[in-house]
Amino acid sequence: MAAWSIVTNGSVLDCGENVGAYQNNGVTLHSSRNSVEDGVDDDESYYYNVRQRYYFDQVLSLFLKEIAEPGILRPVPPMLGDEKEVDLFKLFRIVRDIGGYDRVSKKRLWAFVAKESGSSGGATAAVKLIYFKYLNELDKWFWERCRVRGLGNGQSGYDENFQFLSLELETEFRGLLSDGSDRKEKDGRFVHLESDSIEKTELCLWDTRDAYSGFGKCHSDNDEKFKHDNYEGLQKLNLNVNKKGKEWKRKRESFSGMLKWLVQIAKHPLDPSVGTIPKPSKWKEHQGNELWIQAIRVRNALLLRRHINSNTEESPLQKKLKMHPSMYEDNINHHSAERLRCSGRVPNSSRVCSCCNSCSASQHTLMSPRKLELEKDLKEQTPEEVYLSAPDIEISPPADEALQGQVSVGPLFQADVPEWTGVVSESDPKWLGTRVWPMDCGEHKSTIERDSIGQGRPDLCGCSCPGSVPCVRFHIAEARMKLKLQLGSVFYQWRFDRMGEEVSLQWTAEEEKRFKDMVRSAIHSHNNEVFKWFPMKTRENLVSYYFNVFLIQRRSYQNRATPKDIDSDDDETEVGSLSEGYGLDALKVSSYEYLSCPKNKQCIDLELT
Amino acid sequence: MEDNHGGASLPSGPDGKKRRVSYFYEPTIGDYYYGQGHPMKPHRIRMAHNLIVHYGLHRRMEINRPFPAAPMDLRRFHSEDYVEFLSSVSPEALGEIAFSRHLKRFNVGEDCPVFDGLFDFCQASAGGSIGAAVKLNRGDADIALNWAGGLHHAKKSEASGFCYVNDIVLGILELLKVHRRVLYVDIDVHHGDGVEEAFYTTDRVMTVSFHKFGDFFPGTGHIKDTGAGLGKNYALNVPLHDGLDDENFRGLFRPIIQKVMEVYQPDAVVLQCGADSLSGDRLGCFNLSVKGHADCLRFLRSFNVPLMVLGGGGYTIRNVARCWCYETAVAVGVEPDNKLPYNEYYEYFGPHYTLHVEPCNMENLNSHKDMEKIRTTLLEQLSRLPHAPSVPFQTTPPTAQVPEEEEEDIDQRPKRRIWNGENYDSDPDEDENPRNRSPNVGFQSAPTTEMRDFKDEMEEDKPEEHRPS
Repeated sequence: MAAWSIVTNGSVLDCGENVGAYQNNGVTLHSSRNSVEDGVDDDESYYYNVRQRYYFDQVLSLFLKEIAEPGILRPVPPMLGDEKEVDLFKLFRIVRDIGGYDRVSKKRLWAFVAKESGSSGGATAAVKLIYFKYLNELDKWFWERCRVRGLGNGQSGYDENFQFLSLELETEFRGLLSDGSDRKEKDGRFVHLESDSIEKTELCLWDTRDAYSGFGKCHSDNDEKFKHDNYEGLQKLNLNVNKKGKEWKRKRESFSGMLKWLVQIAKHPLDPSVGTIPKPSKWKEHQGNELWIQAIRVRNALLLRRHINSNTEESPLQKKLKMHPSMYEDNINHHSAERLRCSGRVPNSSRVCSCCNSCSASQHTLMSPRKLELEKDLKEQTPEEVYLSAPDIEISPPADEALQGQVSVGPLFQADVPEWTGVVSESDPKWLGTRVWPMDCGEHKSTIERDSIGQGRPDLCGCSCPGSVPCVRFHIAEARMKLKLQLGSVFYQWRFDRMGEEVSLQWTAEEEKRFKDMVRSAIHSHNNEVFKWFPMKTRENLVSYYFNVFLIQRRSYQNRATPKDIDSDDDETEVGSLSEGYGLDALKVSSYEYLSCPKNKQCIDLELT
Repeated sequence: MEDNHGGASLPSGPDGKKRRVSYFYEPTIGDYYYGQGHPMKPHRIRMAHNLIVHYGLHRRMEINRPFPAAPMDLRRFHSEDYVEFLSSVSPEALGEIAFSRHLKRFNVGEDCPVFDGLFDFCQASAGGSIGAAVKLNRGDADIALNWAGGLHHAKKSEASGFCYVNDIVLGILELLKVHRRVLYVDIDVHHGDGVEEAFYTTDRVMTVSFHKFGDFFPGTGHIKDTGAGLGKNYALNVPLHDGLDDENFRGLFRPIIQKVMEVYQPDAVVLQCGADSLSGDRLGCFNLSVKGHADCLRFLRSFNVPLMVLGGGGYTIRNVARCWCYETAVAVGVEPDNKLPYNEYYEYFGPHYTLHVEPCNMENLNSHKDMEKIRTTLLEQLSRLPHAPSVPFQTTPPTAQVPEEEEEDIDQRPKRRIWNGENYDSDPDEDENPRNRSPNVGFQSAPTTEMRDFKDEMEEDKPEEHRPS
């Protein structure tokens, strides 16, 4: 990015430009469409050419940046004596088609070259010089860099700027340099590249990374522009993608589709065509490869490193971990755009990263801290990591040093522990509370306590339908009776009278129905609205009814109809219930027949029977 | 406990003490509600209590309703402005600017919502733990239980992880009035960060936390976090991975705690029994059975040191109730029948209606190598501690394997007594039933295991062979 900004041409490096604009930008482009040498007749070749030019310009700008020496100006585009600009790309191609600088010189073809590239005949020497100064060096420089990169890949020390020469670019450019007039040869080369797994990985990555460069670049601008630029950048990217050879089209297209989708959401957050996204809790298991899951994986991969980094500095993110992270996400009306937007970027603009110290001062002034941060993250992301993350995100074990030592020390954090003096201070007896058990006086009825402590239920019961709802209700009532006798007043002190389905006796049938309706509709609404439904009930009443009646009825249904799928703890799922209300109807429960066909889907709403 | 200076009696010999168990229960606790969709459900405490009573375990305990802790009492640990905030905030008042400003500061909002009755809930929870401490301080009980306590994430001036008031810290501070050294053991799946932080710089409290570590709330609890200043090496962290099973856990818990008890010689122990380390928890990721979980209590109980047992996490509420009921039974020395008695919440425990549940066959990411490494590291850290005075140095048994006899001998007494129904003292030998005692045999054996009835007990009232210790 840094390098891009210095290019005077301007047509090349504005990431936000689409191809159409590109063409109109003019300086370098006019001739290519009609260029005979290239045999550009059909659209495909045209785009191929545009694309090559795009890469060429990028590489050129990097090159110029790299070899720039103080005092020596190499204006782009270079001008001849007659104030005519030289199309470097065209020149480069012509010379390369002939066979390179040496070959052209040897065959004395510079006049031809000058003519072909659109210069007048008198400019032959100038054209040759320009080629030598700009392009020959570029050629050498490029291959040298590739060599260095090959050696130093993965090491931190290698040249900063060259990082911006993305591998994609590099590959393209390699193709450009090496493919002669024979297009087929080039295709062959790509096939070869494809088989090289590392290259492939990186190539996949770079699609995303390019997109993110877009993000970074435009971040300081307003959102509208950001979106716009990004969109166009992505468009261009897609265009590139679509023109690739078949072998890597699939891979790249998969990302390009995702990026397109992302752009679409950014532009039209409420568009139904975006599709639905499952709950976050389902993400991990998700097997498919839909656009949204790709986006999430890419996002996760890109965020991962950033989070770990920030941990090394301090622990605010750590501290803000949520005990139940999915709790709040599950209920959100999924809008992917929102989701991505809110969690995708961690604003922390005040942070200055250490690795940027190596950047030149001028770059510092050019870029906002935010950009630096992003850049750093992008840089540190090793391609393999992202690639791996696509099928299943593997979180590498964090460095030991990173996560230890997070305990805060100081009077604001520790309890005030007095030194041990050996003098025992009295505790206030109020803390003993109110003794409820054992009971003080003669209320105690030892005769009842014939059951041994820890005894469970008997194996068999004499009910006609053991295990049915009425059977269970009967035995529970029995157990309650016994307990009431044993405990006496303690039964009430412990509020056993307010436990179990008996709670529903204080509710009217209408109220119970309203409660069910409310739970159904309140699944996605806020808790406080509950009181609007039941102005006469206190919080205790409602909570008590929920846990003592509603959930028990739901569970008794689950136990009999869907015994393999039981859950008392998920407020979100809605299931039917097996019986009518407790109390008067309890004895004439008709739903018992249904127990014989637990798999019958019609059981789902038995309460209607 | 008649004397508070007795120190730890190591489980090397028959343990001749019965346990007097005190239990704190606030009857309204089940009606507090964190909000729709919130996994923390105080109702689980009511469910546990219900099971305890239906099993008849209350007959071996003294049960008290806690005295609600006043703001002044909470300030023994918490900062004044935080307590002030907690005591005055309500869902209705949330809109006021004065409060909204504080929400972020005290981390109240998402994980820790403001719900109706929030402060009452905190008061009951803290009152129970302080009460349990006072019970132990006075020597009125050997074991004191408060399932509403154990809210270990709360910080001095900050709520965290569903915890607002750190009842554990308050309870330990109370214990420190009488006891020189207090050991805190935390088997919640989450790191006990609030308690660790509160006592990070003192050697009067040693904290030991077993927890899942790595990309997990609250993010603290690295094995190398060992305390600071005077408290250096007095904080132990046992970082674990997903799928921890009973065997793994036992292989770490027993040797480490054994060594801690030897070296540190606490005068009292606080055990946080967070039930989210159980298999199938909604938020946790371990694979412990109820028995494996309760083994921690069983082991600590065998040291015969005043013991405070608290609740904590636990988000699959039926399993929480199972676990805490079973642990109450362990505390009073009863092996309850696997077939649940009929009770008001019976349907929660379907479709099998049993006390124990099968651990699932999830992948265990804790390799033997990791376990060995953790054990070695921590035992080494422990060996750097100065031994408690007047205790000769002794070699520890091979750490990988704690002698099995302990388990058998813990609760034996030479003379058997029949429960006379008049006091609540637990009579630990009554659960001495060899059929029940095979360790590490999961619940599978449980269905066949019957609690002996009164008649059995009479029959068995004869001299017992004592296994060599």
